[in-house]
Amino acid sequence: METAGISRRRVLDFSTASLTGAAFTSLLMRDHIARADAVPAEAKGTPHLPMKAKRVIHLCLCGGVSHIDSFDYKPELEKFHGKSLQSEERPATFFNQVGLIRKNDWEFKQRGQSGLWVSDLFPHIAEVADELTVVRSMVAESANHTPATFEENTGFRLNGFPVMGSWVSYGLGCETDELPSYVVLPDGRGLPAGGTINWSNGFLPAQHQGVTFQSQGPPIYDLFPSRELPAGSDLASRKLLEEINRRHLAVTGTEDALLARMKSYELAAKMQLAVPDVTDLKQETEATRLMYGLDKEETSDFGSRCLLARRLLEKGVRFVQLFSGGSFGSPRINWDGHEDVKENHTREAGRLDQPVAALLKDLRQRGMLEDTLILCTSEFGRTPFTQSGADQVGTGRDHNMYGFSIWMAGAGLKHGVAYGATDEIGWKAVEKPVHWYDYHATVLHLLGIDHERLTYYHNGIQRRLTNVHGEVLHDILI
Amino acid sequence: MCCFRMIAPRNILVLLTFVTSVRIVAADDTTDFDRTIAPLFVQRCLSCHEGPDAKGKLDLSNRDSARAGGESGRIIEPGDLEKSLLWQQVESDTMPPKKPLTKEEKATLKVWIAGGAKWGTEKIDPFRFTTDSRAGVDWWSLKPLQRHTPSQVELSGWSENPVDAFVLERLQKAGLSPSPIADKRTLIRRLSFDLLGLPPTPDEVNAFLADNSADAWEKLVDRMLASPHYGERWARHWLDVARYGESNGFEYDEPRDNFWHYRNWVINALNQDMPYDQFVRLQLAGDVLHPDDFSAISASGFLVAGPHNTTLPSNDKMRMSMAQDELEDLVGSVGQTFLGLTANCARCHDHKFDPISQQNYYQFAATLNGVTHGERMIRVPLSAEQQQRIQLIDQRMKGLQNEFEAIQQPIRGAIAAERKASGYKGPEPPIAWARWEFNEDPNDSAGMIKGTLSGGARLENGMLVVDGKDGFVASAPIATDIAEKTLEAWVQLDTLEQGGGAAISLQTLDGATFDAIVFGEREARKWMAGSNGFVRTMPLNGVEETEATQRPIHFAIVYQADGTIVGYRDGKPYGAANRPGELQKYASGKFQLVFGLRHGLPGGNRMLAGRIDRAVLYDRALTAEEVAASAGASDINHVSEKEILARLTATQRKNHQALVDEKSLLSIERQNLVNSESRTLYTCVSTNPGASRVLRRGDVGSPGDVVTPTGFSAVPGGEAGFGLAPDAPDAERRIRLADWITHRDNPLFVRVMVNRVWHYHFGQGLVATPSDFGFNGGRPSHPELLDWLAVQFQSMGYRLKPLHRLIVTSATYRQGSAPVEANSRSDADNRLLWRKSPQRLDAEELRDAVLVVTGRLNPEIGGRGYRDVEHFKFKGSNFYKLLEEATFETHRRTIYRFMPRGGRNPFLDTFDCPDPSTTAPKRANTITPLQALSLMNNSLVFAMADYFAKQVKQEAGEEIKTQVSRVYLRAFGREATPEEIDLADDFVASQGLAAFCRVILNSNEFLYLQ
Repeated sequence: METAGISRRRVLDFSTASLTGAAFTSLLMRDHIARADAVPAEAKGTPHLPMKAKRVIHLCLCGGVSHIDSFDYKPELEKFHGKSLQSEERPATFFNQVGLIRKNDWEFKQRGQSGLWVSDLFPHIAEVADELTVVRSMVAESANHTPATFEENTGFRLNGFPVMGSWVSYGLGCETDELPSYVVLPDGRGLPAGGTINWSNGFLPAQHQGVTFQSQGPPIYDLFPSRELPAGSDLASRKLLEEINRRHLAVTGTEDALLARMKSYELAAKMQLAVPDVTDLKQETEATRLMYGLDKEETSDFGSRCLLARRLLEKGVRFVQLFSGGSFGSPRINWDGHEDVKENHTREAGRLDQPVAALLKDLRQRGMLEDTLILCTSEFGRTPFTQSGADQVGTGRDHNMYGFSIWMAGAGLKHGVAYGATDEIGWKAVEKPVHWYDYHATVLHLLGIDHERLTYYHNGIQRRLTNVHGEVLHDILI
Repeated sequence: MCCFRMIAPRNILVLLTFVTSVRIVAADDTTDFDRTIAPLFVQRCLSCHEGPDAKGKLDLSNRDSARAGGESGRIIEPGDLEKSLLWQQVESDTMPPKKPLTKEEKATLKVWIAGGAKWGTEKIDPFRFTTDSRAGVDWWSLKPLQRHTPSQVELSGWSENPVDAFVLERLQKAGLSPSPIADKRTLIRRLSFDLLGLPPTPDEVNAFLADNSADAWEKLVDRMLASPHYGERWARHWLDVARYGESNGFEYDEPRDNFWHYRNWVINALNQDMPYDQFVRLQLAGDVLHPDDFSAISASGFLVAGPHNTTLPSNDKMRMSMAQDELEDLVGSVGQTFLGLTANCARCHDHKFDPISQQNYYQFAATLNGVTHGERMIRVPLSAEQQQRIQLIDQRMKGLQNEFEAIQQPIRGAIAAERKASGYKGPEPPIAWARWEFNEDPNDSAGMIKGTLSGGARLENGMLVVDGKDGFVASAPIATDIAEKTLEAWVQLDTLEQGGGAAISLQTLDGATFDAIVFGEREARKWMAGSNGFVRTMPLNGVEETEATQRPIHFAIVYQADGTIVGYRDGKPYGAANRPGELQKYASGKFQLVFGLRHGLPGGNRMLAGRIDRAVLYDRALTAEEVAASAGASDINHVSEKEILARLTATQRKNHQALVDEKSLLSIERQNLVNSESRTLYTCVSTNPGASRVLRRGDVGSPGDVVTPTGFSAVPGGEAGFGLAPDAPDAERRIRLADWITHRDNPLFVRVMVNRVWHYHFGQGLVATPSDFGFNGGRPSHPELLDWLAVQFQSMGYRLKPLHRLIVTSATYRQGSAPVEANSRSDADNRLLWRKSPQRLDAEELRDAVLVVTGRLNPEIGGRGYRDVEHFKFKGSNFYKLLEEATFETHRRTIYRFMPRGGRNPFLDTFDCPDPSTTAPKRANTITPLQALSLMNNSLVFAMADYFAKQVKQEAGEEIKTQVSRVYLRAFGREATPEEIDLADDFVASQGLAAFCRVILNSNEFLYLQ
C-alpha cells in the first residue's frame, strides 16, 4: 500500500485503473455502506454508525431568508423599532448600509403541541411545526451569496469542492441502480447563479455530480435517442453491441472494466424505463396533487418538485436537492430582499409554503419520515436593521452572516424543538453557535457516517466535507 | 481553508514493548530526543506551550525554558517520574486537555523522562526530521537527485533501453515477468492516442505494418512527435493541472472571451518543444520578463486560470478575506503544479504534514500577491506584408481623393460664387446641450451649470488657462441622462511634449468612469478618446499634432449609440472611426464635466497645460456635417457633400458612388489591419501590492509580522531568501520566484514533471499522486528510475519530446496488456508494470476519435475555438445554455471548446472531464449508466454515425460486407473477421449502416486502448 488512503480507496470506488471485484460489485449491486476510508474491517458491510436516515431532501432557499421574520421570534424588535444598532462594531453586510432597526413584518405564534414559534410567513408549515427541528444559531463565514452558498453546500468558500449531495452519493451510493443517486430539481424560473457549479462533484468521481431533472423534454439529458428510431431498432442495436463486446472480451481476456461497461448498458436501459415512470406525476391521486398545490399557478412549480422528490426517494434515490430561487439581480426571483422583505418574502414563501407542508404530511402519512431527512436552509439570514440611510427605517434587509435559522425534519431528530439562540434583536448567534460544518457533521451522522472518516484524497489531503471542523449536534438528536 | 486528517502511525513505535521495562532502555542514545520527543512536543504541546505568550508561562520549545518550567515551577525532573509534573499531568490525561496522549506516546515520554530527560538540539526544529506522522526536510522528495546507473538486468528479445532495466529489476525481485511486446496494430493505436489524442488513419496503420525496417517504431514516434496535434493532446493534460476555465466562476461567472490565447500558447510551446524550465518561467513571470512580447504575456495566463470572484461587497474586511482565499488558491496551484507541494495547507497554521511553516506560507504568498486578474491590450507589430498593404491603400486613397476633387471642385467653386453673390453667412452651428465660453466665469453660457476654478486654473482673455499641474474647472452635476453624445473643445496647447491631460472630460462624480478628449496619452502628439481603463479607447490613428501650440484647434469626439467613436480635428475626420466597446451611459445628476483634467483627482499625468477657448457638450451624436459646421462656423466657403451631390449629373453620380464604395471598402480594410496591431487578452495584470504580513490563524483581522517574499526554505536548490524588500515590486518578486523554482538543483521541479509525463503515458505515475510529493502523497514505485529520468530530462535540456521518445521506445511501454491472473493477484494495480494497463479514452479523446473516424474533424490548429453553449445574461449573472452540437457546421478538437465554469458539457462530464474550477492532476475514471446513455443517445453521436455511414459508402460502395470491413478499419484500425462481418451483415441489412456505425462508436474496442 503506497499511501494510507489511496489504495484502500480504490478498492471501493469505480476507478477502472484498478477495478477490482469489490468495485465491480458496487457498480452492479446496491451499496448501502458508508464507503469511507476508516478502518476497513469496520467499514466492510456496515456503516460507521447506526443509520437513522436513509435518504435526504434538501430544500435550498437562495438569497437569504429573514430568520427574524420566520423562525426566530424576537419580541424586543418591537421596542427597538426605529432605533439605531447599539454596537461599536460595524456589521459586515454586503452593501455596508446600516439603517435603523425594523420589527418583524409577520406576526409570530406558538404552534402545535410543541409551542414552537413560527411566523405567519409560513402558515402551512406552521401547521406541521411539531415536525420541525429549528436551529436558530447558525453562523456563516461570508455575507456574499456565492461563497456563502458554497459554504452551505460544500463546507468551503471557493469553487471546486464537492457538494454534500455528492459526498453522500460517494459515501452511501444509491439504493437503486435504475436512477442516479443525487438528483437536482432547479427552480422553474431559472438556475441559481453559477449554474452547474452548484451541484459539482468537485474532485470526486463524475458519477457523484448532481443530475438535474429537467421539467421540459426528457427529464435527464440524453435519456432517449435524440431522434425518432424505427420500432425495435434501439433494442437490436443494444443486442448487437453486447455481442460485439462479448467477442471482444474473448480476445482481450477478462477485464473488469470491460465487463462493467457492458453492464452499464443494461443499467442504462433500466433507467430509460424508471425515469419516465418516476416523473409521471399523473400517477398520483387528485387529492395528493391538490395537497401539493399542483392546481395553483404560484405553487405548481415547487409543488411538482416536492412531489417528484418524494417519488424519487420511494424509488431509492439517495439525495434530492430542490432549489427555491434562481439567480440574483432585479427583479428578484429568489429570497434576496434588499429592497422590500415583505413584498419579496410574501411572494417566495407563497411558492413553497403549501408544497413543503404537504411534503412533510405526506411523508409522515406514508411512514417515510421515520427514515428520511428533510433539510431547509438558506446561505445566511437578514439583518434586523434595514438596508437604508443611517437615520431611516427602510423596507429591505441586507445579508446577515452572524446569526440565522435553518430547520430540519425527520429521521433521528427531536421534533418541535429549537436549538441555540441569537441576541435580543436577532443579529448575532450568542447561544450555542452552529457552523455549517457542524450542520454537515450532523447530517452525515444521521446517515450513519462519521464525518471524520468520510474522506477522499485530493492534492495532499484526505478531504472531508467538514474540513478540519465539525461537531455533531447531539442535543437535537433522539 | 486547508484541512488535514490525522493518519494512524505507519508503524507503531517499537517503544511500546519497553513499557514494562523502562529502566533497561534508559540509555541516552536509544531515546533520541530530536527524533522522538521533539516531534511529540511539536504535535501535542507546542500549539499552547511555545514562545513568550505560552500558556501557564511554560515554553517547551527550547531547552532552557523547558527546564525552567512555568507558573507551577519545574515540570521535568530527569529520572524521576513521580516528581515530574509533566508526566503526572500527561499520565492523568489532564494534559493535553482535549485529546490525551495515546498509550504509545505516553510510553515514549515515560522512557525519556525516566532515562534522564536528555535534551537534543537546543531549540526544537519541528521540520528537522521525518517522523511517523509528518515529513521533515529529510523527506525523500526533497533530497537532491541521485545519479543511478541502470542495472545490467536484461531480458533478451525484450529489453530496449535503460528504462527497461529499472523496471525488470523490480519485476524480478517480485518474482514477476513482463508481458510480451504487443502487436503492431495495437502499438500504433496506443501511440497515436497517447501522443496525438487521435486514432491512426487506416493509411497510417498500413504504412506502419508495411515498414519492416529495424527502426520502424522509432520513425513512427518521431513522426508523431513532429505532428502539431501533439501539442493539442499534451496541452490538454497541462490545462487539467492549471484548472483552465474560461469564465470567472462564482455568482457572476462572466465569460473570459479573450483567455484562449493562454491555451494556444501552451499548445504552441509544446509543439515547439520549449524547454520545460522556460515553459515554467514564462507562466510565472512572462509578462514581466518580456513586457512587450504578446506570447510571453499570454503565458502568464497560468496565474489567473482559476476562478475569480467579482461580486465585491462594500465591506473592506470581507473583500480582504476573499482576496486571501483566492491567494491561497494561487499558492496551492503554483506549489502543486511545479513543486508537488501542497503549500496552501499552511495558511492558518504550520503545515501538518510537510516542512512548511505558516510564516513560510506568507513569505511565499508574498511572491504572488501582485497577481491580479484582468484584460490587457497588447500591441503586436504589423508584419512587413501588412505594412506594405497599408502603404498601398494609402496611395490609392490619395488617388481617390484627387478623383473626388476632380468631380467636386468645379461644383464647389460654383456654389461659393453663388453664395458670395447672395450674401450667405454660412451654415448654422448645431444646437448644444451646454456651452462654455470661459469669458467672465467658468459657468456654462446659459449660467445654469456652475463651474469651479481649482488650483492654478484662471480665466484670461476669454480663455480658461490650465497649468498642467493642478489647475482645472469642475462643473456642478449635470441634470440630464446622457447616452450618445458629442464632446467639443477649442484648445491651444503650451507644448506638444505633454501627455495625458484632457480638454474636456465627462465623468461620474467619483471620477471612476469617464469619456474625454485626451492629448498624447498613449501615442505622443496624438489626440484620443480617453476612457476609464481604456475600455472605450482605441487609437484614432489621426495625424500627429503640429499646430496646436500656435493657435486654438478645434477637436470633437462623437460617441454614437452603437459604441462607435469618431474624432474630428478642425471639423475634418481625425483618423478613422472605431468601435472599442459599448456606449457608456451617464445618469442624470451622477456626472459632471471637468476641463483641463482627465478624470478623478488632480495630479499625475492627468492634467492639461494650455488654454481652452470654448467647450461644448451635445446630448446626441453629431453628423460629420454638423461637426464641420460647428468647427467652421465662420467659414462660408464650406460646402457640404450633400449640396455637391445634389448638383451632379447621373453619370457623375454613378462615378462618384463607385469612388465612395471603393473608399469605404479600403478604409475598412485599413482599419482592420491597424486594429490587428492591438490584441486584447485575459491574463495576469501586474500590480505592486506593498508589504504582506503573516495573518494569525489565517484571519485578515489579525495581522502579524511583515514578511519578505521568499521561496520555501525546505526545498533545496537556489537560495530561498530572495534578498527583496517587503514592498519589492511585483516584477522582481515573480522573476525571483521563477528563477528559484526552475533552479537546476531543485529536485522537485524535475521529479514532478517527469512523473507527470510518465503518468500520462502509463495512466499511473511512478508516484501515484502527481501534484503531491509530500508526506500524504504516494511514494515512488521505482525511485531509481524516477531520478534517472529526471537526470536524463535535465541533460536533454528540459525538452519533453526526447523524454517522450525515451519512454515510448522502451519495451515497458510497448508490452502487451493481456491480463495475467497470477500477476493480478500479487500486483493488481500493476504498479510494477508487468503489463501495459488498458486505458479508456478520456472525454476529449473520445469526442475527437468520433470526429476522426467519421471524417468530420476540422483539424484547424489554434485560433479562438468553438462554443457549444449560448451565453446569456440574466439578472446580472452569466449563464451558458447548451447547444445541439449536431447542428454545427464544423467540429473542432475538444481542446478548443470554450470552457465556462458554470456551463459544463454533460457529454464530456460523464466521461470524467474534470470541473475546471479545481486542479485535476489525475482524472477520475468511471463507468456509469449515464455514459452509456450519452454515447447511445446524444445528437452528436447520431449525426456522426450518419456521416460515418456516408463516408464509408463513398469509400466502399454498396456491398454491405465491404462496408462493414471499412467501418472496422476506420474505427479500430483493423480488418473485420469473417465472423464479425457475418454478424453485422443482417443488422446492416435491416437497420442500415448508420445504425451499425452508432453501435461501433459505443463498443468497448472503440473506447479502450490495449
